Parts: sequence; C-alpha cells; structure tokens
Amino acid sequence: MNAVERFIRSRVLLLTATVLIITMALSILVQTGSQAALVKTVDQNSRGLYDILVQAPGKSEDKLMQPDIVTGQGGISFDQLDKIRQMSGTAVAAPISLVSRVTQNLEAPQLRAEDYLGYNQGLVGLQQTSTPGATDGSKWPQPNSVLNDNPTRYRITASATSSDGKTERQLFSTVGEGTLGKAKIVQTTVAGGNSVQIEAPQGESGIKFPSPAGSSTHTLFNANISLPLAPEISESVVAIDPVAEHALLGSAGDFLNPLEKAPPVDGRNAGAIGRFFQEKLSSGMSQEDIQDGPDFLGVRLKYWAPMLMQYEASVRDKQLTPDSQAIPLIVRQGTSLSVKYSVKIEQLDDSGKVVKEIGTVSKDLGSSYVPFVSKSPFVLQWPGGTDHSDLLGATSSFAAGLYDPATWSTQFAAAPQYGSAGTEANGSEKKQANPGDWVTINGLPVRAMDGSTVDQAQRTPVQERSYRKDLARGDAKATPLPMVYGTFDPTQVQKAAGDINRLPLGGYDPVPFTLTKDAQGNGVTPTELKPGLSATGLVSQSAGAITDYYGLAAARGYTKDADVVDAIRVRAKAQGGWREAGGDIAKLADQIRALGLRATIVSGSAREDANIFVPGYSKDSSGADQALGTVQQSWVRQDAAAAVTSSLSGTNIMLLFLALLGATLLTAASTVSYIRKRRGDAGILRAMGWNQKQIRRWVLQEFAVGAAALAAVGLILSLISWNVATVVVSVLVLAIYAAAAWLAVHQLRHKHVVDQEAVDDSRLIAIDSPLTFANRQLKTHRFNTLSLAVAVGVFAAAVGALVSVLVDIPRAAGASALGGVAAASIVLPAIILALAGTAVGMFLTIVTGRFELTAKRDQIGVLNAMGWNPDMLKQVRFFEHALVGLYALPIGVLGAALLGIFLAPYAAVWAGLAGLLAVVVWVPVATRIIR
Amino acid sequence: MTTEPESRKNRRAEERGSQTQDEQENTMTAEQPVGDAAELQTRANTIIKVADHETPLRLENITIRYGGERNGAERVSVVEDFGLELGAGEMHCVAGRSGSGKTSILTVSAGLTLPTAGRVFWEDAPLDTMDDDEVADRRRALIGYVDQGGALIEGMSALENVLLPAVPDGEVEQRTEMAKNLLELVGLGKRIKHRPEQLSGGERQRVAIARALILGTRVLVVDEPTASLDRTSANKIIGILKDTTKDGISVLVASHDHELIRVSDSMTELS
Repeated sequence: MNAVERFIRSRVLLLTATVLIITMALSILVQTGSQAALVKTVDQNSRGLYDILVQAPGKSEDKLMQPDIVTGQGGISFDQLDKIRQMSGTAVAAPISLVSRVTQNLEAPQLRAEDYLGYNQGLVGLQQTSTPGATDGSKWPQPNSVLNDNPTRYRITASATSSDGKTERQLFSTVGEGTLGKAKIVQTTVAGGNSVQIEAPQGESGIKFPSPAGSSTHTLFNANISLPLAPEISESVVAIDPVAEHALLGSAGDFLNPLEKAPPVDGRNAGAIGRFFQEKLSSGMSQEDIQDGPDFLGVRLKYWAPMLMQYEASVRDKQLTPDSQAIPLIVRQGTSLSVKYSVKIEQLDDSGKVVKEIGTVSKDLGSSYVPFVSKSPFVLQWPGGTDHSDLLGATSSFAAGLYDPATWSTQFAAAPQYGSAGTEANGSEKKQANPGDWVTINGLPVRAMDGSTVDQAQRTPVQERSYRKDLARGDAKATPLPMVYGTFDPTQVQKAAGDINRLPLGGYDPVPFTLTKDAQGNGVTPTELKPGLSATGLVSQSAGAITDYYGLAAARGYTKDADVVDAIRVRAKAQGGWREAGGDIAKLADQIRALGLRATIVSGSAREDANIFVPGYSKDSSGADQALGTVQQSWVRQDAAAAVTSSLSGTNIMLLFLALLGATLLTAASTVSYIRKRRGDAGILRAMGWNQKQIRRWVLQEFAVGAAALAAVGLILSLISWNVATVVVSVLVLAIYAAAAWLAVHQLRHKHVVDQEAVDDSRLIAIDSPLTFANRQLKTHRFNTLSLAVAVGVFAAAVGALVSVLVDIPRAAGASALGGVAAASIVLPAIILALAGTAVGMFLTIVTGRFELTAKRDQIGVLNAMGWNPDMLKQVRFFEHALVGLYALPIGVLGAALLGIFLAPYAAVWAGLAGLLAVVVWVPVATRIIR
Repeated sequence: MTTEPESRKNRRAEERGSQTQDEQENTMTAEQPVGDAAELQTRANTIIKVADHETPLRLENITIRYGGERNGAERVSVVEDFGLELGAGEMHCVAGRSGSGKTSILTVSAGLTLPTAGRVFWEDAPLDTMDDDEVADRRRALIGYVDQGGALIEGMSALENVLLPAVPDGEVEQRTEMAKNLLELVGLGKRIKHRPEQLSGGERQRVAIARALILGTRVLVVDEPTASLDRTSANKIIGILKDTTKDGISVLVASHDHELIRVSDSMTELS
C-alpha cells in the first residue's frame, strides 16, 4: 500500500487535512468576503451629499461635531463663496444662512355649530353654479341643525396646551357663556327682486369671548363662534442659493424650482406687488386664477390671498415703507410642534347649572399647518354637527390666512451651547447643555383686527428656557412681505440628504432629541422631545421657510460684501467612494483653508449618539430650576468610516488567528490519535526488521500526502483571493501540519522501558459514581482533555470576542454612526462572521472530541455490559463534558474578556458573559452529539 | 460441578431428539472436567452466591441477521433458529469457525443486542418486554459478561475495574473486600493496583472474569476467553470458569478451544 492509500485509509489524517482545508478556506473566504462587504458598505454610505463643510474661521471643532449649526452668525463672504466655486476640484458649493426668527399669531380659531338652513331655489345668493366645485342646489341634503329653534344657554371653555413630549403645559383656559339657537332665513322683496337675510332666533344673545376673539355669527351653514386666539409660535427662515441647493439635493430639490423663478431684487418691492394683487382682485379673476392662483412672472401664486391680507394689514398699520420688499418663500408643510386646542361645551339652565354635557372637541396643530399662510388651523366642529360649506364649491383660495403680519426678528437663536461632561460607559460622549435666559411666550397681539387694544391680562405668560445663544445681528430691521411660492416636505428633504453628512442642513433638517434618563439619572421610556413655541429651546424643528439671499438682504439688510453666509457645503468633483475620492477631497479642503476659512471633511464621517444632560429646564412651584434629565442626540463623528474599517479589519485578523489556533489544537489532538493507531503498526514493522529511519520515512510519507493537498489548496486560494492574508494563513497551516508530523515521528520512537509501578491510589478519588468515573477518565487522558478544554476555551473566547465586536460596532463607528444605514449592512456580514466563527469553533471542538470516539464507544460498551443503565451512561458523558467545560471556563471567560478589552473595551463585560454562555451551551450540545 | 436435575436432563434429551441430524452431530456433551485450578477451590464458596433458578438463561428460536436493504447489500444470516436452555451450574460452549455467529449469540444472551427473531429469557422473563433500564438492572443482577480480550477501562487499576459494576448500586465500599478476594482467586492478588496497560492478556481476561462475578452473577457469558493466551494462561482461565459452575453459576462460553469444549457440560457447534 503506497503512502497515498495509507493516508486515505488513515481516517484521522484525512479528516484532519480536510478540516484544516475547510477551516483555511472558510476563514479566508469569510475574512475577504466580510472585508469586501465592509469596504463597499462604508464606501457607499460615507460619502453623502457633500464632502466638505466650510464655516467661518474659529476654534476647531472636536472630532465629534454637534448638529444644527446654522446660526445666523455668518462669517463667510460672497467673494469667498465665488472663490470656492472657481476651484477646479469643486463640483457644487451651496451656501446656507439663518435669515431670521419669525413670530406669528395663528388665525383666530373657530367653533362651528351646524346651522344649515336649506336651499331656497331662486333666491339670490344661494345659487352657486358659477363657483368651481359647487354642488347643484337640487342635490343639497335636507336642512338640519344641531341647535334648537329656541335659544339655549351654553358655556364654552376654550383651552390650549402644548407638550415638549414629556409633560403637557396649559397655555390658557377661557370661558364664554351665552345663548345660541337655530337661525332662520328671512326673505324680503326689494326693488328688482328678492333678498334674503339670515337672522338669529328671537332672544339669542350669542357667545362672545374678549377681543381679539370676537363673537358668534350665523351663516347659511354654521353658527361660527370665534374662539380665543391660539398661542404665538416662532419659525425660522433660512436662505440658500436655489440653483446650488437644487444641484446638491438633486431631484429631491425640485420644490425649489419656483424660487429659482422669483423676480430679481429690483422687482420685489412690497408695495408694487401688493398693489398688483389688489388690482387683480378688483378687476376680477378667472376660474383658473381662483383655483391655482394668479400668474406672477411665470409662477402661479397659490397663496396670494394670505399675502394680500398681510399686505393690507401692514399698510393699515403703517409697517411697510417704500423700500420694503417682498420675500419669496418656500414654506414647510406641517409642524412637529405639539399644540392642542380644546373646546368643552356644556348646556346650562337659567340658573347657570349644567344640565347636559354636549362634549369636548379638540384639534392638534399637525400636518395641515403651513407657516405664513396657515388657514384655519383650529376649526372645530360642534359635536354631532357636519360642515356643509363645501356645497358652495372651491372658495378656499380666498381664505384670508394670517391676519396679523408676522414679526421678523434678527435676534437669532444660535445652535445650542454644550460643555463636555466626560464619556459614558459605552464610550459615547457626555455633554451638558448650557441654559440661557428664560423666554416669555403665550402673548397676544397688541391690537385686534379692528384696531382695538387687546387686554393682555387675558393670558398668563409662560416661560421657556432658552438653550441657544442670542446673537444680535442684522444691519436693518424691516417688515418684509412674505410671498409664498411653494411648499416643501421636510421628510422628503431629509430622505434625499441621507442619514450621514446632513450637516449643516440643520436649518431645515434638525436632528431629534430623545429623553433617556430623568433628572435623577434613572432610565425612562425613550421619548422624542418636541420643540418649544419660542424656537429657542434645545429642540428645533425644520425651518418654517426657505428663501434666497435677496430675501435675506430684505429681512436683515446688508452691504454687497457682507459676510452673511453661515456655512457652505462643498461637493468635490472627484468620483467614487470616500476612499477613492479622499485624496482629492483633502486637497480641496486645504485650498479652502488657504482662504482663511474652516474646512471640515465630512466624507467618511458618521452619526454618533451623544448624551446630553439638560439642567435648568423648568421651574418648580417654588420657582427653583429643575433639570430635565439626559437626552440623546445623534452627532457627527469625523473619520468614523476609517475607524470602522480599522476596527473590523482588526477583528478579521483576530478571527484568522483564532481559526489558526483552533486548527493547531485540532491537529494536536488528531496527531495523538494517529500516534496511538500507528504505534502497533510501528512495532510490527520494527519486528520485521525496519529501522527507526525507515519507520520515520514511512510516517512522513503519509503526512506528505496531506501536506501536498494543503499546499495545493493554499495555492489555489491565494491565487483566487490574491491576498497576502491568504498566503500567510496557508503557510501557517502548513507549518502546523509539519509540526504535527515531527511530533508523530518523535512519539513513534521505540521505548525500551515499560513502567510496571503499581498505581499509588492514595491521591486518587475513589470511583463510586458517574462523576468520579468521568473525572478519572479525563485525568487519565490528560492531553486529550487539555486539548479539548483549550479548544472549547478558545471557541468561547472567539464567541465572546465576536459578540464584543458586534456590540461595539456602533461605538467603533461613532456610537450609532453606521448603526443607521451603514451599520445595517455591516452588521449582517458581521453576524455571518460571528455565526461562521461559532460554527467552526463548535465543529473543531466536536471533531477534537470525536478522535477518541472509538475508544469512548468501547468504554461505554463495557459499562453497558456491566449493567450501567442508559441514564448513568448519559451522566458519564455529561460529566465528562461538564468537567471539560469547567476547565475551559477560565480560558473562555478570561480569553473573551481580554480579547474584548483588546478589540472593544466598552463591550468587554459582554464578551466575558458571551464566553461563559458559549461554554455553558457547548456542554449539553457536545453531550448530545457525542453519544 | 453441581448435578443437573433429572427432569431438565430428560427435557434436554427430548430436545436433542427433535434436532436435525446435523445439529445432533454438532452437539456433544463434555464428560470430564479439568481440575486445573486447585488454588481457587477453598475460598470460592464463601463469596459466590448459589443460583436459585433452574433455568437462568433460555434462548428460543434465535435468528440473527446483519446488513439491510438500506445500503443495498443483502442481509447476511448468521444464526438461524437457535435454541438453548442453560441450567444452573451448567457450562455450555458455543463453538464454530470465526464469523459463525458465536459472539452474536453471546451478545444476544447478555441482552446487549436484540435478535432479528426469537426470544431471550432471563429466569423466564422475556427481554423483549423490558425497557433499557430494566434490562440494565436485571443484567447487573444476573449476567456477567466477559468480552473477548477482557476489555478493561483505561486509567483504572485492576481493583477499580472489578468494582465498576458495583457503582450503579452504590456498593463500591461494601464490595471492595470481595473484589480483592476475587482478584486473589483469579491469581492477581499482587496486581490489584496495576493498570490495564501493565497487565498481560491473560491477566486482563482474569480481571474481566473477576469483574463479571463481583455482583454474584448467575450466568457468566464469556467470549473467547482463551483465544490469544498461551496454554498455561488458558488453562488457568478454564479452571476458573469451571470452578464457578460448582457454585451454581451457569457459564455460556464461546470458544473453539478444545480444552474448553472438553470441560463444558454441553456444546453447540455453529456451522
């Protein structure tokens, strides 16, 4: 029989070589595969919409950058912007600035009680056939009303609350009382025809709230009860260059198209534009104009009516000057503010006693709210009532919108100011928010719509803590006329911008805060915080409106060369992922720095959760400041992609090392088994006259077959992967195999001395149970036991190390950086890696155990023949594995913890626990498998 | 050797009468025992219990086949319709060529494997109605099995090996003295602390026999006890086996050792 045949028939060597080849191939393929997946994922996700963030010169940012940094501070001039655009490496340079904070009162809320009086054919004023969408009168439903024919006394309690996501705060609660009844149509004959009037029933007093609210009035369809004014809210406006911004956002920036068509600076006089629309209205408007808005220099202005109302109010209040300009705006749809308006209705008897609860209706400020043009955000319907106003057709374009001109302020609210507060146990940054002044909200307009003075005592002021530094900025205060050109959906912009590198879109894409701990440091259910009404708190919402830099000039006033640009987002021309483009991006950043500006390379950065302690958030009943607790916000970690790559590369190398270690142990155990099998053969050969040299050659020939197979596979894998790591692994596996051959040759030398000493059993534990039997067996086969224990320990350590890496990936990448889009992709190969590593480890330990399987079976057979029952035999197997597990435990747990400390310090405890669990799980699995 | 009851002798004679011509030719009765273990005689009676059942082992129509259709091979019939009644104190030898099914009959008799067909009775209790635990418990009480070559557990001394059957009942300590006596009886009194690898083949075989007797076995099932031993060692083993029958212990032995066949009370030669 030649060496190849002997090798094949020697199942131990064949199995060892096979397992080594599989281990080698698997570890290399997994390593290269995961590395490729990682590079691809990181590369794809680490180059966002722009590569470099340019800011005004100042102190260098930390590696961890806070978001929401559009501040209104400016610092970059248009001249510098032009120079950046002219640089050969620049593809897009998109400036952004905070224009102003704008405070506005929402339109007066209304409660509508259904008071549908019916259709009287032929009466003037009730035929609406000319109105688009109007329902033919013959198809109107039967008249109906929720009100009695006789006036009934009601009490209406109007209240408003806002919430920061954690606690609800009452802004006001006001009561109005009076009588309401179903109105009637009174028809009179006038010259030329009939006339109708809607009259309240006899004896109705109506319900009136103090100015600027108003009183109830009957219409054809509803008794409209004017409710107290909703609270003031503030919005921010940012300025961008529409063309550059569009180029940056791609198709998601299509909403900016109208802004690109806005008139040049000399065509924006507020007075001229206001008069244009007044004339349009008075000269009559077409159906198309009513439906889509009148054409203004190629753009149909859907929201012309609110602008006209505000123009007229500004003229009446003498706020507009001849130089006042209209500001073209793209406004946000919806709001993340939490403001709720509630109305409770009770029916009273003559003595004022409540006889019936009609009900409570409420409405939140939500997706229907549009800043600057908000139309009836709080129209509430009387319980049981139906609003039939739509029977009259599309008249919405005529809705007034805001009657009170918005107040533009250049008291900017800069980004929140933070101080460092150390590092959390999981490695994330700890910060502390610096509280600023208290800001008073919940005011009422000075004058009502009719010009009368408003009693400010109606409301109790509410204070909000400002965490943003006020920046007194702006050369001129003006009252510009907001001219709404369109709307944008902030979630769509956010989607387009991507999770990484959103900075500094903070102006209209803020990063949310999540409350994680209370003021005492106890964990709470994670709650996303809502912005405050003043827009100066910690939390902000997307900008209320976007304008261009002419709009910024109109609101703030500046000279031509003023440095009003807060930041410029630069996209480099270089193509490819962040690795390929990195050199060119760095070069471009250096050129920008040469202009005296701060240029931060954001390609390759990622999100990281920062924990921020918020002190002085509110006041308790005694007036003392109360902390909010700890909030978490996603910040930006620079160079996170490089950190992830480096971290996972280290992990892969560690996995290769562990695989090799496992292969070494496997080879050692199999070699011992081989030596046992071949010892008898060597004795026979020796008896036949073979000398030591010939026996050695005979053994080495068998090993050479395996070595040749390993070398061939190693060569093929190296050529396929074209990777140095593959070559190193292949060479090391061969070296392990060669060492095994040397050990076999050494051990198969003839021994002349046979030990005949009796056993000294004084130190041995008597065998009286499966446990003591298992213990003796393990001690008898020390080498095998040790090999197996080390194999299991290494397996557990590997599992622990992998768990620690998995747990730590977000931190390594910058807390949750690639834990968003990128980590999702990286975690998958990492999990596959971990599972593959665990499977290989488990396989190696089981294979190591199976080398003694024949001997074990014989042993079990003997015990079985002696009457040991199946349960006891199972106990023997279990105790053997449990004891091996016990020996493996220190290696597994300590190894895992040490590897954890090396690979992922913040997850070392998890690594240790995973190591412990791996050993605990291995015991029953191995007991079950090795029967 | 104890005397066989008359009734059983008659029954066995009748059974022989019903056997085929070939079977009758293959079965012969040993007429003369070998008295080559004089040193054991004086102490054996004190440590081995006397069997109290007339037929401790009975095999009925045993058929053993190996292989199956699953791997495509034809089933090989090793034993067909084999029957045996082993009386208390009787020594029966199953002889035959290698591969004739001797060991198969022994493992079936010891309840280590199940026959393809037929039934095995231990003191009239059929094995096929018992679960694994019950078989193990009864085996411990009734059957002492000695493997070919006397398989011992590595890492344990001869004494510890002998005491292993006492572990399940927690009687290790109580039976230690008896184990020493048994080892003394089989001539290994000075080798009780030696491990298997330090013992010769004959010594291992004797340790295995002592181990099989430690629980007061009633049937000793011994596979090829003298196969690889020199004549002197073999005779020692034969003497030990023969002596055990004097105390009512039945011995079922597989062998083609003529000396062993000669001392057996009866034998079956498998074709």
